[in-house]
Amino acid sequence: MFERRLFFHVDWLLLGAVLMLTGIGIAMIYSTTYVTPPTGGGHAGPQVWTQIYALAIGMVALLIFLMIDYRMFAEHSLILFGGLVVLLVFVLAKGSTQMGAQRWIPIGPFNLQPSEFGRLTIALLLAMFFGENRRGARNTSDLVIGGIFTCVPLLLIAKQPDLGTAVTLLPVFLGLAYLAGLRLRLLGVLALAGLMVAPIAWKFALKDYQRSRIQTFIDPEKDPRGAGYQTIQARVTVGSGGLTGKGFRQGTQGQYKFLPVAHNDFIFSVLAEEQGFIGVLVALGLYLFVILRSLEAARLAKDRLGAYLVGGIISGFSFQVIYNVTMSAGLAPVKGITLPLMSYGGSSLIATLAGFGLILNVRMRRFTN
Amino acid sequence: MSTNLMPDDRRHLALRLSALQYVIASAFALLAVGFWVFQVAQHQKFAEMAENNHLRKLPQPAPRGVLLDRNGKVLVENRNIFNIALVREQTKNLDATLKTLAAATGVDEAQLQETVSRRRREPSYRPIVLVENATVEQVIAVKARQWELPGIFSQEVPSRQYPAAAMAAHLFGYVAEVTEAQLQKTDYEGAEPGEIVGQAGLEQVYNRLLMGTEGNKTVIVNSVGREIRVLDEQSSAPTEGRTMQLTIDADIQRSIEDGFAASGFNGAAVVLDPRNGEVLGFTSRPSFDPNSFAGGIDRATWASLNVDELKPLQNRALQGTYSPGSTFKMAVGLAGLEEGIINPEFTVHCGGGANFYGRYFRCWKAGGHGTVNLKTAIEQSCDVYFYTVGNMLGVDKINKWATLFGLGVKSNIDLPNERVGLVPSTQWKQTQREKKWYAGETISVAIGQGQVSVTPVSMAVYTATLANGGTRVTPHLLKAVHDGKAWKPVEAPPPQSRVDVSPEKLQAIRQGMWGVVNGGGTGGRARIEGHDVCGKTGTAQVISNAGRLAAARSGKNLRDHGWFVFFAPRDNPTVAGVVFLEHGIHGPNAASVAHHILATYFAKQDGKPMPPAPTHEDLRIDYKDPYARGAAPIESGGQ
Repeated sequence: MFERRLFFHVDWLLLGAVLMLTGIGIAMIYSTTYVTPPTGGGHAGPQVWTQIYALAIGMVALLIFLMIDYRMFAEHSLILFGGLVVLLVFVLAKGSTQMGAQRWIPIGPFNLQPSEFGRLTIALLLAMFFGENRRGARNTSDLVIGGIFTCVPLLLIAKQPDLGTAVTLLPVFLGLAYLAGLRLRLLGVLALAGLMVAPIAWKFALKDYQRSRIQTFIDPEKDPRGAGYQTIQARVTVGSGGLTGKGFRQGTQGQYKFLPVAHNDFIFSVLAEEQGFIGVLVALGLYLFVILRSLEAARLAKDRLGAYLVGGIISGFSFQVIYNVTMSAGLAPVKGITLPLMSYGGSSLIATLAGFGLILNVRMRRFTN
Repeated sequence: MSTNLMPDDRRHLALRLSALQYVIASAFALLAVGFWVFQVAQHQKFAEMAENNHLRKLPQPAPRGVLLDRNGKVLVENRNIFNIALVREQTKNLDATLKTLAAATGVDEAQLQETVSRRRREPSYRPIVLVENATVEQVIAVKARQWELPGIFSQEVPSRQYPAAAMAAHLFGYVAEVTEAQLQKTDYEGAEPGEIVGQAGLEQVYNRLLMGTEGNKTVIVNSVGREIRVLDEQSSAPTEGRTMQLTIDADIQRSIEDGFAASGFNGAAVVLDPRNGEVLGFTSRPSFDPNSFAGGIDRATWASLNVDELKPLQNRALQGTYSPGSTFKMAVGLAGLEEGIINPEFTVHCGGGANFYGRYFRCWKAGGHGTVNLKTAIEQSCDVYFYTVGNMLGVDKINKWATLFGLGVKSNIDLPNERVGLVPSTQWKQTQREKKWYAGETISVAIGQGQVSVTPVSMAVYTATLANGGTRVTPHLLKAVHDGKAWKPVEAPPPQSRVDVSPEKLQAIRQGMWGVVNGGGTGGRARIEGHDVCGKTGTAQVISNAGRLAAARSGKNLRDHGWFVFFAPRDNPTVAGVVFLEHGIHGPNAASVAHHILATYFAKQDGKPMPPAPTHEDLRIDYKDPYARGAAPIESGGQ
């Protein structure tokens, strides 16, 4: 299954950049979760170890998704999709509840978050669906069928409620459909429909806390102690970092918990605070390199399936990165969208690394038949 | 495979991939610009906001200055009181904890609940004080049941320790948190909101010196306000307030308090050194306990102090104005001598009363004193003698000399809110009442009745001026201030005025006053063997005889006030003062209190053991209303 010569076609630069970002993430998690008891001394928070274990598991997943031909995964994507739906239904029925949402399945000492594997499954399924279709351009019915496949897990995840993660499925679908030759006019119609549905969704679909998050994003000063707090504090965190930052573990906003969930949703804010604008440029540069290098893999893919698969995965990844970084500067409403590779979260890291396994896989097998 | 990319397909895909690349790259470029704006362009603003988030300046109260007596004995110092407080985040079952605490301390459980619910919005790690100024028993009870009371602990807080038994409470005053209104005043310049400042008495007057300088410490706090650590480099230590040495003699002060306590009367007393105006003792009664203000006074105590009919917060020595009665007679006699109207040998025949301007004025002694000269008139307190002299002088000359001796003017003692008494004059009546002065009114003035009113402190100055021969010393309380390195003596304030009274004329007055105490006069109870005490009793009517009859049933205390002014020894006096007994019935009762003060003074001077606190019996208080002129109607009025 794995030929020795394939080893030489592994994109080591991409893998290196991915691991560097993961390493930066672990360092920032270490910084924000460092425990300083009043009695003196100090030690790393438990989150660091969780993240390191997740990295180890994620590397195994990456290897699996690298070594087995991506077409094998695509051919069995319907089974994977079925498994995902079962898990998501299970989560809704029996999952553990944390911070007001039911997202996790406890497995021994770990908590599995099935929704994080949604993007990967959807990418495989849609790449298979669009890639194996012989016609050149995609029509409306393709879009509708793809949309339905996307919406099943999306609604299940939104029900948890985890709107942030649910929404990340959309760019996978749209990015993939776009690469598959979906007419731009159709995308335009879709966007228009979205705009028309928005007010109705605002009124009926969104929960109060979600509405207030969007409202306070528009005018954070209206409620600086309440819902606008995170947006303001995010800007203060980022802005106070300055050009060179306050130094590792020297950030005041993250260290003294003025910024909530700093090790998770706002990890990039902490990076900006402690490492400054220079650190931000380095991290953004690495992310951009990872994205462009992945798009290069799509370009080099030997078949449509591979190209679409990479396109779908990287669209979701790019959307997450751009949205989270924008939010971490207080420039977008606070949503539970984590920063892939850097944010604390085992399931997210494992799923993301598995996704890069597939991207590397596509590039590695570009000459095979 | 059929899905392999055809060249056409590949071109198409490459085009779309490039478009995607550009979109994503421009999004990243925009993000970089956004971060540049926040992190570089607006860095200053956000850096300040972050600083304000996590740095807190906490005031470090400075210990107030200690007050010492003239011999270095501590009068007012700082102590720590215990508060029992609750930290909610450490409790498991709040209701059960409060119930146990109520049982352990004897504090009403509902009140504890109320305190907690009033402050429920505060962060739960912040202590809520449940019992202020807790007793040792309460603290021990809480400690003993610590395991049942998670989250309950006792904390020590700095407070002020005043002497027991409310001694000299009006002199020291009290401290409390600075009010909004006070922060606007220059008197309280430098005080921060929430700071403890002097609110009355010496604490108020010398607040600036006593207060010290508040320090502060800068602490790092986290998002819920918990202190993480102190930034030493940005903190400053508080500077303690100045230690002050007062002119007060703790033993004299104690003797005044003991004398009043034994007498059972309220009133005031001021004892001075007539040579320089140093105040040796100063009391106003009823008193209050300034300690109850120090830890934050509770509402009930404050309300009861304010509505109390006896007005315990009023400083009677400075703010009470009363008729001086017969103690005024020396001023009249002196005026007569100095104005050349009489000489010491001038005599008047007292037949128990005399007619002036068509009205009969009685002497207090129904049978009369016979023929009296100045010395005997003072000794026997003969009213007719002074009616006569007063009538010869006229009110304005009386006013002139009384004023020169400190009556009807402020003493300018270094205590707040002194009130001024009144010695009438024709001009006063013209301007204040727009009426002409009638010569008949002068007759009452001559025996210290009528419109004459004085404060006890001005009586002390008057007596001191008689004692020192005409120097109206300024009573003052501050002897020295310790500036942190050494004692700096405080210069006595200059006298308010000075007249040269010829010693021979003064001697006649002094002889009379000596006779009051040592010659079988009305002040015999103040006699101290071997020390020529001079004094004068006075009894001031609270209400006219007719009014007394009408008001007899109102239940108000309308008994006369008793005065005793004194100085000693007769030649080169070193102590002078006044004892004023509110509704003390008559002057000799005041002389009994003065006796204990003088006995203490001379025992101390002579190095003898100080007399024990007198009992009520020792003072031989006379409750009989001795004045014939009020007696009959009162008896018929059923009092």
